[in-house]
Formats: sequence, C-alpha cells, structure tokens
Amino acid sequence: MADPKEVQRLEDLAYEMRKKLLNLCGHYEGAVHIGGDLSMTDLLIGLWHHGLNVDPKDIRKPTRDRFILSKGHGAVCMYIAMSLRGFFDYDDILAKYGKLDSPYGMHVCKVYLPSAECSSGSLGQGLAVAVGMAFSARQKKQGHRVYCMMGDGETCEGEIWEAANTAASYKLGNLIGIVDKNNQLMSSFAGEAMSFEHYSDRWKAFGWDVIDIDGHDMAQIVDALDSVPPITHQRPTVIVANTIKGKGVSFMEKVVGWHAGSLSKVDMEKAIADVEAAHAKARSAR
Amino acid sequence: MTMPPVKQTFNFGSFLSARSVMGTTIHDLGQKYDNVWALVADTGGALAAFHKDFPDRFIDVGIAEQNCAGIAAGLALEGNIPFIAGMIPFMTMRACEQVRTEICYQDLPVRMIGTGGGLTSGGGSTHNAMEDIAIMKSMVNMTVLSIGDPNMIKDILHQSMTYPHPMFVRLAQGKQDRVLYEPGTKEFGIGKGLVAREGKDASIIAHGEMVFEAIETAKTLAAEGIDVRVVDMYSIKPLDKELLFKTIKETKNILVWEDHLMEGGLASTISDALVDGAVKPKHFKRLGIPQAYAGFGSGPEQRKKYGYDRETAATAIRAMLQK
Repeated sequence: MADPKEVQRLEDLAYEMRKKLLNLCGHYEGAVHIGGDLSMTDLLIGLWHHGLNVDPKDIRKPTRDRFILSKGHGAVCMYIAMSLRGFFDYDDILAKYGKLDSPYGMHVCKVYLPSAECSSGSLGQGLAVAVGMAFSARQKKQGHRVYCMMGDGETCEGEIWEAANTAASYKLGNLIGIVDKNNQLMSSFAGEAMSFEHYSDRWKAFGWDVIDIDGHDMAQIVDALDSVPPITHQRPTVIVANTIKGKGVSFMEKVVGWHAGSLSKVDMEKAIADVEAAHAKARSAR
Repeated sequence: MTMPPVKQTFNFGSFLSARSVMGTTIHDLGQKYDNVWALVADTGGALAAFHKDFPDRFIDVGIAEQNCAGIAAGLALEGNIPFIAGMIPFMTMRACEQVRTEICYQDLPVRMIGTGGGLTSGGGSTHNAMEDIAIMKSMVNMTVLSIGDPNMIKDILHQSMTYPHPMFVRLAQGKQDRVLYEPGTKEFGIGKGLVAREGKDASIIAHGEMVFEAIETAKTLAAEGIDVRVVDMYSIKPLDKELLFKTIKETKNILVWEDHLMEGGLASTISDALVDGAVKPKHFKRLGIPQAYAGFGSGPEQRKKYGYDRETAATAIRAMLQK
C-alpha cells in the first residue's frame, strides 16, 4: 500500500503542476493541448517524482529509466513535471514555449532539446522505439526500465499493436506501457467513432500484464508503479489509467473543444480557481 | 557456423548474390562490433548466420516494417548500429513515415539495405521499387546509395560503421548480381562515383543493375567506333558533383540510365546539379521507367517494353553524336 505521506506529497505536486500548466496556457498566444495534459498530469507526477529512477543533476545518466512520451503533443506537460523535479526551469519554459528556436516546443524535439529521450509527435510511434530501447537494455544487461506513455486515441494506430506483439513475443519484461485512457480522441468520444471496448483485454490478448487504475487516484498510481515486476519478468506490463480529459477544470472536463486551446485571462483565473478549490477540498479531507 | 564463401575470383559479368555478400558482411561486422544489430521483417534468409551466432542482437519482427523501423530507432538511440534488411518497397513505403520521423528526424545511424531495385523483383508493381530513390533522397539527413557490383556492398557497409547518419542502400535483384570490378581494383566511398569504363565521345551515367547494361552497350558501340565512358554513380545522395562536372567537361554528351522512375531518381538529381551549377552538356537524355505500373516478366523484357533497354540506349547515343 502506498505511503499516505508520499501520496499527499505527490498530490500537492500535481496541484502545483495543474496551476503551472493553466498559467502557461493563459500566457501562450497559441493553442496548448490542455485537455490531454490535464488527463495525464497525475500520471506524469507519479512517474517523474516517484516511479522513474532519474537524476535531475544528470539528465542523461546511463542508468536512468527511459521515458518516451508517445503522445508527444503533451510535451509541455512533461517539461513542467520535469521542471518540478529540477530538470528544467519553469520560468524558462514559460518564456520560451513554442517560440523560434525554443527547446520547448509543442512536440518533443531532440534537434532543439538534445537531452530529450526521443522526439515524438507523430502518434502511434513511441512504443516501437521503446521496444528497441528495451531490447538494447536487456542485451547490454542494464538494469533500467523503459516506460512509454501513450494516449488511448493513438492506440488506433497499427504500429502500436505491431510493437505490442513484438514486446510480448520477445518477453520484454523491462518495458512498461502507460495508457492515458481519457476516452476521448481529438474530435470524438470513445465509442462514437472508434470502439475502445474490452480495452484492457486487448493488451492481455497480446500477451501483456495489465494493471487497471484510476489515473487520478494518486494512491493507485503509486501502487501501480511500485508493483511493476522485476526486469527479468517474461511479459511486458501496461498500466491502463482511466482518466478524464481536462481533469480539474469544470468547463474543460469531457468537452471535445478542449483538446487544445488557449485561455483568456478571465478563463485562466476561473480554471485555476477550480483547481484550487478541488485541492482545498482534498486537503481538508486528509 | 561456416559462412557461404564469397567468390573472390574476378570474372566480369559473372553472377554473385549481393544478399549473401551483405549477410556475410553484417556477420563480420557483428563479430567485430558488439553494437551491431540485424533486423528483418520476415526476410532473414541472408542473415541466418548472424541470427545463429548473435541471437540476442537479431530481431525478426514478422511482417511489420513500420515497427521494424521504430525498433531500429530505439536501438540507435541507445548507441547501437542497426542494419535492416528487406524488400525495398515495404521498407521505403510502408514504413516511410517511420523512416522519416523516427530515423531521419533524429539523425540516427540506421542502415537500411533493400533488395529488388527497379523492375528486377518479378513480383509486379506491389514488389517493384521504382519510387524508392525519390522518396529516400527527399529525407533530410538520409544518404542514398544504389549498388550494382555485389562486392561493393562489403566495402560500403564497413565504411558505414563510422558514418553517423542514416543510410539507405538499394541493391539490384539481390540474388543474381553481376560482378563488375575486380576486387581490390576500385575504391568505393560514400559520396563518390567511379569510372567503370573509359571513353571520350559520350558518357552513360548509371547506378545499380544499369551499370552492367551500360558497359555492355558501350562494348556494342565500341565495335561501331563510338567510344563511350560509363560512370557508376552509386552514391546518389550525396552526389559526386566533381566527377559529374568532369564527365560533362570531358565527354559533353550525357545519357543517364536507371532502373527507377525517370522523374525523381538519379537523372533528376543530376539535372538539379547541372542547372544549379550552370553546367550545360551538349546533349542530355534520360532513360528509365515511365509513368506506368509494370506487370510481370524478366528485367530485360520489361526494360525493352518500357523503353530503357540496351538497344534504346545505343540508339540514343548514336543520335547524340549525329546531331
């Protein structure tokens, strides 16, 4: 069971992160993929502040766990989660996000941010790259894991299932997938156009171990990350995290229009007030 | 495991399997360097020895080329040098975006070696490779080579170990390829071309299987007193412009001959270089695949049907010299 103090520490970080995200969204002139950022905020805090073995003093430390953001349009969400751990400076992200020659772009880009694990942005491609990294780690007898964060929408892509098949066929126990299952694509809800029924069973049928969690329950996130098997396990693991697109902001939650957008000052303040109220409520319940 | 011996006795025009030279070479590299990996999408025949001796560095992903390219990128991001072997249309078209976005965008040292260049596969238009050079050369950071002489693949793959960028190597048919150069007599290099046959009246610039066709055509024309130079421009990107300009300066008349669409291949690359460099040949003609989806038949039969066979080439050279 997750240590309640650790859970609270992470919840407080997730609260900080939501505010920082919304603040950036209110100051950046272009669109931010805020819906899918808010759905994976708790997961990224759990990963970068608890689950991943990483060192903010050495971003490329050879023994680090690898993390690939396959849903690359959530790059800024990852940068902010990492900044809260000390990898980047939030004010620097805020000042440079999306600007010419910025290291912090809409999608993860190794050309402008060489310390990034992998460029991403074209959906459905991250898992295959993670499989390649997992093969390499096993062959070199390295002890780290490879984590790959996917959106449920991008798992419509065939390459995800090609990679899932390879990972299970080659028994890559050092590979951990996480699906931010927010049940929305850019323009539809799960089930409207494409079916996501029996979702976890699909992964099981491909030979993966599946951990189903509520992706906004920090205790469940911590428990899932703590329970990943040893790297010598004979099956890859996927954490299917049920989440809500736009989580924490009343006017964004489960609204298709908030896949991406920018916030006026008034809306930004309203959104931050929502997040503050929810956090105050959670704190008083502790 | 004993490796199939690579024939070293030189006999111009004799057949040698470029695929087995590739397989032997990748095996040798795998023995020498522990970061060499071999990847296939169900096309591992030539890499059986590698698979046997280095099973933990061999991945057969099944029929899944996109995944294959992505896994290669993941391996390369970890400091490995992955060699992907397979059939050209699928590695360059099915996996086109993965090659562009995972491999080229990140400038990773992945080597893609494809067989069945041009209309040599016999499989019809699903298996023909007539767009591959156009597609691959359009990708930033990508190097594109087209190799006819089967022994050349060995030198090029050895050189690739210190080459920090992605590379696509087009082989011709792959099973039966013509030996063109006596081993050890020619220098091959990425970004270089070579003179396969000297001549002063006109030049045929070719790559892949068409180099042998060009040499044979030059022999026919020599009997008529026409002295044709043959340039093997195996490095299409980067292009050996120095050799190109020297060839034009010395022989003036140029025929570019390739087993690829006439638009988008070597002829287009050369045409760009000539316009940009303000170099004007006296005559410039291209022979290759027209805008058509070909059916079945042997390479020579199809080249005749589509108008880029030896006779057409010889006629084109004669016409240049009469004008």
